[in-house]
Amino acid sequence: MSNHTFTRACAALAITLVAGSSLAAEKKLSVGVADALTGGGAVYGLPQANAVKMAAEEINAAGGIKVGPDVYKIDVIAYDDKANPTEATNAVRKLIDRDGVKYILGFCCSGSTSAVASFIGNEKAVMLVGNAAERSITTKKIPNLVRTRPPADYTGQAAGTFIARKGQKRIAVLGALDVGFYAQYVDSVEREIKKAGGEIIAREVFSLKDRDMTPQLTKIRGLNPDAILVVGYVEPAAFVYRQAVELGMNIPRYGFTSGSEEQFLRVTTSEQMEGVWDLRPTELTLLSASKNGVAYHANYTKKYNASPSPSSPYAYDQLYALKAAIEAAGTVDNTEAVAKALRNLAVPPQVVMQYQPVDGKMFDVNGQAYTSNGAFQWQKGKWVFVEDLPSDSKAYSQFLSTLN
Amino acid sequence: MNRILALLPWLLALALLAALPQVLTVKYYLHLSILALIWVIVAQGQNLIQGFTGYVSIVQAGFMGIGAYGSTLMGLNFQWPLWATMLVAPLITALFALATGYPSLRVKGHYFAIVTLAFNLIIVIVLVNYSELTKGEAGISNIPKPWGGNREAFYYLALVLAASLTLLAALIARSRVGEILLAIRQNEDLVAALGIAAWKYKLFAFVISAMYAGLGGALYAHFQGFINPEIFGVAQSLDAILAVILGGSGTIAGPAIGAFLVVFLPEILRFADSFRLILYGLILVLATIFMPIGIVGIVKAAFARITRREARHGG
Repeated sequence: MSNHTFTRACAALAITLVAGSSLAAEKKLSVGVADALTGGGAVYGLPQANAVKMAAEEINAAGGIKVGPDVYKIDVIAYDDKANPTEATNAVRKLIDRDGVKYILGFCCSGSTSAVASFIGNEKAVMLVGNAAERSITTKKIPNLVRTRPPADYTGQAAGTFIARKGQKRIAVLGALDVGFYAQYVDSVEREIKKAGGEIIAREVFSLKDRDMTPQLTKIRGLNPDAILVVGYVEPAAFVYRQAVELGMNIPRYGFTSGSEEQFLRVTTSEQMEGVWDLRPTELTLLSASKNGVAYHANYTKKYNASPSPSSPYAYDQLYALKAAIEAAGTVDNTEAVAKALRNLAVPPQVVMQYQPVDGKMFDVNGQAYTSNGAFQWQKGKWVFVEDLPSDSKAYSQFLSTLN
Repeated sequence: MNRILALLPWLLALALLAALPQVLTVKYYLHLSILALIWVIVAQGQNLIQGFTGYVSIVQAGFMGIGAYGSTLMGLNFQWPLWATMLVAPLITALFALATGYPSLRVKGHYFAIVTLAFNLIIVIVLVNYSELTKGEAGISNIPKPWGGNREAFYYLALVLAASLTLLAALIARSRVGEILLAIRQNEDLVAALGIAAWKYKLFAFVISAMYAGLGGALYAHFQGFINPEIFGVAQSLDAILAVILGGSGTIAGPAIGAFLVVFLPEILRFADSFRLILYGLILVLATIFMPIGIVGIVKAAFARITRREARHGG
């Protein structure tokens, strides 16, 4: 081959490569987030929205979502729903109708999530629910809805067994019991405690905006319980823990709150929190985290200058699950195919939470994912993972399928 | 001629609203317009008791809740047809309003506001805790929607109802009853001194106001397909009050304008992200301080000033 011919061949090859790469066009995929960015639910919603944005940046940096010859870079549009049903409906309508978004993530709070879930089945869109724990969200068999967080009573059952094993018989509950999923959690705890011969001797209520819990605690103290169980949002729960100490209640304190160290320390001191148990899904804490969890914690802290809330990876994982499903379905436009692919998805390797697949799949037939449950204890300023709680995701999945 | 001139803005507004679904390419705005029309109904009701009678009631969203749950539960539990439940919803609300209005209206001013506020809180507490019936905080989903959820058709339903109930409010305002309501607002003692049983008229305004809210609530439930107690809290009652104040208390056009503002303004302000609510609050505070007569009041005053000036120049 002469030099001239060789040069020509190289030029032809270069042209072919350039033409080939231009065929693999880079496109934009808009992904919506509807979450509580302000108000009481923002302790869960804002970290979730941040987590989705961070996951999008990571995916984009790693080359985006590959669908056939096309590569999609993710663009996140986040709207505040204030954890309010009307606002959530408005936000999602805006995402679907105006912004043309087909994939909507976030959803930290149950009321607003249920409102959107009630119409999403009629839309050509896929809804991925995060922290919202109300059981009924995944009992309606909505084909284009999946949820990364397990329902509250799935965790409550495991928590009840743990408390019963600790030998406490008379448990006083103080919590946001007018919120459905917290009540479901307590009901499950009660069933397990009763099996061990124990009982719940009080069910005192606080509202999510309450800050003075001394009346309820004083009443509970008079009943002389073996332990208290606190269920609710981080801030009111933190006030309960603090005021219990201030009232001299030296008994075990169990909880179901999913708050980070930083969130609790805004209200209480580390000394007041010492020994408190949080019985919840095995969410993010540095000591229990996998390699992905450690990296997530570090990256989030660096990016947002604040530690991530333990439940925020539910939203982070949503985007990786969506990426895997889109790539498996081979389309971004056919939402039905993507929704189906989500249901058949194995747990993607990039996720942070420790999912317990059902029949090898991340989401069961109801669109529900399950994490393991864990007992975390506050020790010297940190949530420390102590042990796994017994949880049977397959049995619970079958139970969930029987509900309507 | 004057009457036709006075009707012209109304006819223009109606024509504009009727053409809206054909003009709007983005259905999100249609969604918001439907919510705004529902709020027009709720705010017109609020205006009857607050604007005309001078009694600030903080239970309008609670009454919406009674209408919404009443219509939904009758449909789900007794399999009543959707239209029948929507018609009966305001009647159920009227019964509750009669029961609560009679004791509430024995007090005046701030005390009346506080009593109605307490009623709103009670309604929400009952909706949250009577979960066997209401499904509590989790709410009721899959509420039947007319025309299979066709938003355009629902828009016209909401428009017809909002227009009819605005007309009804105008007729009440212009009737003898309306004049007595205005007189109660100006000087209730004088009304009583004239031998008029003011309490009957106040109760009438309160019950009619609740019926408006009840119908608004039923419409909301069958439009959104989901209800839970949070939607009918005190914050939403304050929105009804704000709609009346912003638009123009004691006017007919005011609540309609105010209703569109309370629905659209927070949505328009979404660009401000987490500052949205601060901005919204600030706008409301400034509007209430600097526009106590509302938008309609300001427009009327400006119009009067212009016509006076023209008359002066002409004369």
